[in-house]
Amino acid sequence: MIFREVEDRDLIAKARQGEVEAYNLLVSRWEKRIFNYLLRLVSNREDALDLSQDVFLKAYQNLPKLDDPGRFAPWLFRIAHNEAFSWLRRKRPETELAEEPRPANLGARMMPIELSLAVESALKILSDDQREAVLLKVYQGFKFDEMAEILDCPVSTVKSRLYTALDLLKTALAPSILPKEAVRGQS
Amino acid sequence: MSCILDRNKPDWKAYALGEMAPAVRREAETHASACQECHAELAATRITLDALSTLREEEMPRRIAFVSDKVFEPRWWQRFSPRFSFAGAGLVAAAILVHAFVRPISVPMASQNPAALETQIRAQVQSQIGAEIDRQVQQRVAAQLSSAIESAVTKAVAETQKQEGERTVKLLAAAERRYAESADILNKQVGLMYAMNTGAGAR
Repeated sequence: MIFREVEDRDLIAKARQGEVEAYNLLVSRWEKRIFNYLLRLVSNREDALDLSQDVFLKAYQNLPKLDDPGRFAPWLFRIAHNEAFSWLRRKRPETELAEEPRPANLGARMMPIELSLAVESALKILSDDQREAVLLKVYQGFKFDEMAEILDCPVSTVKSRLYTALDLLKTALAPSILPKEAVRGQS
Repeated sequence: MSCILDRNKPDWKAYALGEMAPAVRREAETHASACQECHAELAATRITLDALSTLREEEMPRRIAFVSDKVFEPRWWQRFSPRFSFAGAGLVAAAILVHAFVRPISVPMASQNPAALETQIRAQVQSQIGAEIDRQVQQRVAAQLSSAIESAVTKAVAETQKQEGERTVKLLAAAERRYAESADILNKQVGLMYAMNTGAGAR
């Protein structure tokens, strides 16, 4: 992670001097993470890809405004967060009732791929804010203070969203992740 | 069995997410080894996180096509410093044009090596000048070439028209001559037939 930061810093410095290839390299290092983060938020591959493109274009245009190149990751995810939520607001007006898909009840002792699908469904139960908190912490590995920076809210709000989300996920995934003994006991 | 710490029990989610300070973490571990409720809560949180970790990362449908386009590239003066203003860049560019080949450049930028900056600036100015000269030369060559082609075409057309005119005159003259000869022969034949019919020729 430290090496990655050092290399990012170097690439950012070069990109700021107009080396487009350095920026392209930076894009190639981060595009998959940004894409997956956006994909889990907007649930559509093409939209996630378009948004990723917008994120990297905005990041390029605003690169001179990045005060600390060591904070590139939270800064980039802040842009992605803004893009995603702007998109969600456009696509889902407040009057519209959000669809709440139920998690697939696939039963205990799942294969990894089945469990993965169950997790994917379970994530959709969460609100956008809760899901984003899970994505940033569990899948992107940000610290609470970095998440607060990305989401532009206090750490207490970050923790509240994340903890509520984990409780909901624990309940939703229980049928899928309970130990064999517990499943036998229930049947 | 309920936890004796009740509301003061450790934050097991923070523990499982790696957000607990090392000292607090050790205390929490000691407590969990003796408290069934906390042990169960920690286990449940870990199982949930393990399940979440099975979510596979999606491959991108295609790579992000980005700024290889020249439109996105900053101007040469923007490359010196990301916060360099347009006016400042203009002033420096003007100074460079005047002094570039006279004496070393002193640009007030602490963050860059002056020698490297000078080399960069010289190269860029020369490149700009070279590009401008190339452009103007190409324009002039194109204009001269166009003019020469136009002139040659006009000359060739005039030549052709002149030749065609002379040829037409010759053809007309030859046709008139042949017409005159034919008319003369016809007159003679008519005269001969008249003489034969009237017997004028026999007398």
